[in-house]
Amino acid sequence: MSADAAVVPFARDRTLVGVALFIASESLFFIGVIAAYVVFREQGLATARAQLDVGRTALFSVLLFASSGTVGLAAARRSRAWLALTALLGAAFLAGQGLEYARLLGAGLRPGSELFGTTFFTLTGLHAIHVLVGLVLLGTLFVASSARPRRVGHAAWEGIAMYWHFVDAVWIVVFSVVYLGTVAG
Amino acid sequence: MTAAALVRRPGAFATAGVLRTVDHKDIGILYVLLGVAFLAIGGVEALLLRIQLASSGLRVLDPSTYDQLFTMHGITMIFLVAVPLLVGFANYVVPLQIGAPDVAFPRLNALSFWLTLFGGVLLYLSFVAGGAPDAGWFAYAPLTEPSHAVGSGMDWYVFGLAVSGAGTITGAINLAVTILLGRCPGMVMGRVPMFTWMVLITSFLILAAYPVLTSALVMLLVDRQLGGRFFDPAGGGNAVLWQHLFWSFGHPEVYIVVLPAFGMISEIVPVFSGKPLFGYRFVAGSGIAIGFLSFSVWAHHMFAVGLGDSENAFFSAASMLIAIPTGVKVFNWVATLWRGRIRLAMPMVFALGFIATFVIGGLTGVSLAVVPIDLYATDSYYVVGHLHYVLFGGTLMAVFAGLYYWFPKVTGRLLGHRLGLTHFWLTLAGLTLAFLPMHWLGLQGMPRRVWTYPPGLGWEWSNLVSTVGAFLIAAGAIVLALNVWRSVRGGEPAGDDPWDAYTLEWSTSSPPPAYNFESIPRVRGKRPLWDRAHPDRMDPE
Amino acid sequence: MATSLEPIVVLSLIVGALAALVFAGVLAALIVFTIRFRDPRPGSVPQIHGHRGLEVAWTAAPLALLATIFALSLVTLGQIGQGATFGSLEPPVHVTVVGHQWWFEFRYPGGAVTANEAHIPAGVPIELDLGSADVIHDLWIPELGAKSDIVPGQRNVLRLFTARPGTFSGACAEFCGLEHAWMRVLIVAEPRADFERWLRSQAAPASGQAGRGLEVVRSAVCSSCHVVRGQLAGTSIGPDLTHVGSRATLAGGVLANTDEGMRAWIADPQRYKPGALMPRVPLSAADLDAVVAYLRSLR
Repeated sequence: MSADAAVVPFARDRTLVGVALFIASESLFFIGVIAAYVVFREQGLATARAQLDVGRTALFSVLLFASSGTVGLAAARRSRAWLALTALLGAAFLAGQGLEYARLLGAGLRPGSELFGTTFFTLTGLHAIHVLVGLVLLGTLFVASSARPRRVGHAAWEGIAMYWHFVDAVWIVVFSVVYLGTVAG
Repeated sequence: MTAAALVRRPGAFATAGVLRTVDHKDIGILYVLLGVAFLAIGGVEALLLRIQLASSGLRVLDPSTYDQLFTMHGITMIFLVAVPLLVGFANYVVPLQIGAPDVAFPRLNALSFWLTLFGGVLLYLSFVAGGAPDAGWFAYAPLTEPSHAVGSGMDWYVFGLAVSGAGTITGAINLAVTILLGRCPGMVMGRVPMFTWMVLITSFLILAAYPVLTSALVMLLVDRQLGGRFFDPAGGGNAVLWQHLFWSFGHPEVYIVVLPAFGMISEIVPVFSGKPLFGYRFVAGSGIAIGFLSFSVWAHHMFAVGLGDSENAFFSAASMLIAIPTGVKVFNWVATLWRGRIRLAMPMVFALGFIATFVIGGLTGVSLAVVPIDLYATDSYYVVGHLHYVLFGGTLMAVFAGLYYWFPKVTGRLLGHRLGLTHFWLTLAGLTLAFLPMHWLGLQGMPRRVWTYPPGLGWEWSNLVSTVGAFLIAAGAIVLALNVWRSVRGGEPAGDDPWDAYTLEWSTSSPPPAYNFESIPRVRGKRPLWDRAHPDRMDPE
Repeated sequence: MATSLEPIVVLSLIVGALAALVFAGVLAALIVFTIRFRDPRPGSVPQIHGHRGLEVAWTAAPLALLATIFALSLVTLGQIGQGATFGSLEPPVHVTVVGHQWWFEFRYPGGAVTANEAHIPAGVPIELDLGSADVIHDLWIPELGAKSDIVPGQRNVLRLFTARPGTFSGACAEFCGLEHAWMRVLIVAEPRADFERWLRSQAAPASGQAGRGLEVVRSAVCSSCHVVRGQLAGTSIGPDLTHVGSRATLAGGVLANTDEGMRAWIADPQRYKPGALMPRVPLSAADLDAVVAYLRSLR
């Protein structure tokens, strides 16, 4: 930028920069929780291997990964259909998580039953809460863009899509560390 | 609703509109008032602690009360005083300094404030809900685990810090976006006022450090409410993990509450020396260096934990390195004085006091980065003395300097000089008497966080002096309150620019109108007001 | 060297002197510049924006200074850290330390167990193996130098040394709950022969006067927390009392171990150490006297 370049206050899209900073900050939150998981990984590895259903979770993970594509299309085209599909995929992923939780709880694993229960439910639960928040955002966007499409600027579409990509990206790491980690080493 | 109402009718400020305000200036004032209110509370807590320690064997407080008070004193001063005061100044001053009409997200700004307040209220509700947190501000596990902390105090700690932390994070996003995108025409980063520079760096530090604290708080909550085992060695967990997480937030936090203070000093010293800041690029650059280094020094709080000699050596070296950019700032401030035209108005008096006391805190900090010295001095009163020189002699002295400096802008009235000097000397004498003997006590072997101590070890005199010092500080605070009261009632009108200052906040009225400027300013250098006043001697590009 | 504190003192004096020099320099510049260039009249002075050479100088000089300090600190660390011999040829004496809320337990090879008072031989390196029964504590004997945290689930080692006999007072340095303040400790350094004699007597079973006092101790709740080896079978949640009469203080330093001190402590522990885990055990005056006499006889 040349020294005298005119910088008009807030000319560029402040909302997206704000969302980006929020996401950067959130990722450090997850790094803290993931670090704790990794610290205790060895101690929980036997239980993880015995209890986790890698195959089925991988299947549901694919749905979440796919939703990153659909939300991208939704934002690019301002398409409520793609938005609805994104929410559907996200909800399916959460349902998959619910099944996994139900099975593990049925097998007696609790946040307090052993160290692996503590780290597993904390990490995946915090991610699930973020997915849930994402679903609320998608739903809000869907309703708002139906009712008053002109009032919903591109920042809302782009910002919510960014957040959804982030939730997806966190799951790539969580799935790798928690689930694929039982297969490798 | 503008800040002017605070001067005209203080009552109106408290009732009308303040609940709905989204003006950055009002929010800034609210933050500062919040910080001042909690400063009074945290100060009274400190006085109670000092009364209990005035001599050996006193029973003014029982150990349970003492532990709650020293814990709440620390939490209050860090999270509810230092941070809100600095965020408050940033909120008020930054948009003005960069020629913006407001912050980037005014409504989010209001939310940040109310979250901070709500977090503080949650923390203090603990007193009436079965006992305040009592494990110290850094709350080492497993003392905080349900097996050892049976009351609800630690749960209030988790909720209070998480909520006020969320407010701090959203506030930092707001300030960062404001500074990145809201600068007026011509204000490239190389011309941004130094206070704004430091606020920008601080905002990034907050965004990186606070989420780590939140993650640790969530894990602690899982341990406490769901029977989790993160930090409980008896259940296979790891007590030291809490320390790593806490201090990888906690040490950047120290810089979060000191970098904006550096920024204030970097504004005030040049203005009252009649010169530009010496080495602008180096002062800004050293701030960035401090920001990065602050994330690699956390384990210097943990040398005695038994991490191993090589880990200790790494963190020792990193902690020593951070002294270098800090020193660069001090040297540049001193060089700014050289061949200046120095006016000893109150902001400058406090700024000079800041440099002298902060250097003491910085140097004792270096001594604590030296592992063998730390192994002797850590967890002793030496550390208590050191951290108070940094946080009181540093942050709070700078806040006082900033208060005398910007109060005329906020209210349109100058603060009294004679009362200001009384405040200054009481504060300087008080902090010296209160905190200098603590170093000696620590070297004599007095551990920190003890509710009493045995006779016969020769600790009584130093402790008594320290207690007297604490009351001098309190007396100084009362003088300051009197000064503010008198000034608000009928102080000398300040005009737009009482100091012949350099930055844009002094180009608008005092207090500034809604949206700050009649038209968005345009700048061509670091000191727009100097350039305007000296068209023949404008700063080089 | 005289004690394990000595290398730290030497390093501290060097660092302290350098720090004082820096502080004096900054303060002198502040004062001199402020007086010399003070001028409240309006007007302006030459506008100096900076000086690259100076910036380099005051970055490089502290760097060199700090590098020197860092190097010196590594030397000191070698003198006091793991495996330090402190110039002694003797093999180290091992003592196991267990931190409890709010007292220190010392266990010696050979069976001696004591609380809040440890004897060590002068002129011999002492290696303390530190463990915790509950929360994080920290053992610090200021006159012997470095401290170490005592972390549950982790074993830390602290090496200390003194060439001269003497009694050294110390304390827990990490906040550990209500009575952190009264978790004090005495280290008695004595000539090797005296130490060995002490160790033998402490390892021996109790030889307290049998009688009313012992009966009361056996019938009251004492044994749910205390042990008197040979005379009272119990659990060692609280301090081992086998030779409690030989110690200088009671309850982590809160009272002197005299007849009066012992009576006061047993009569109402919470009065002297509020929060301590020892409850008040209701005893008649006669029983109290008997218990005090018995415990004091456990030398």
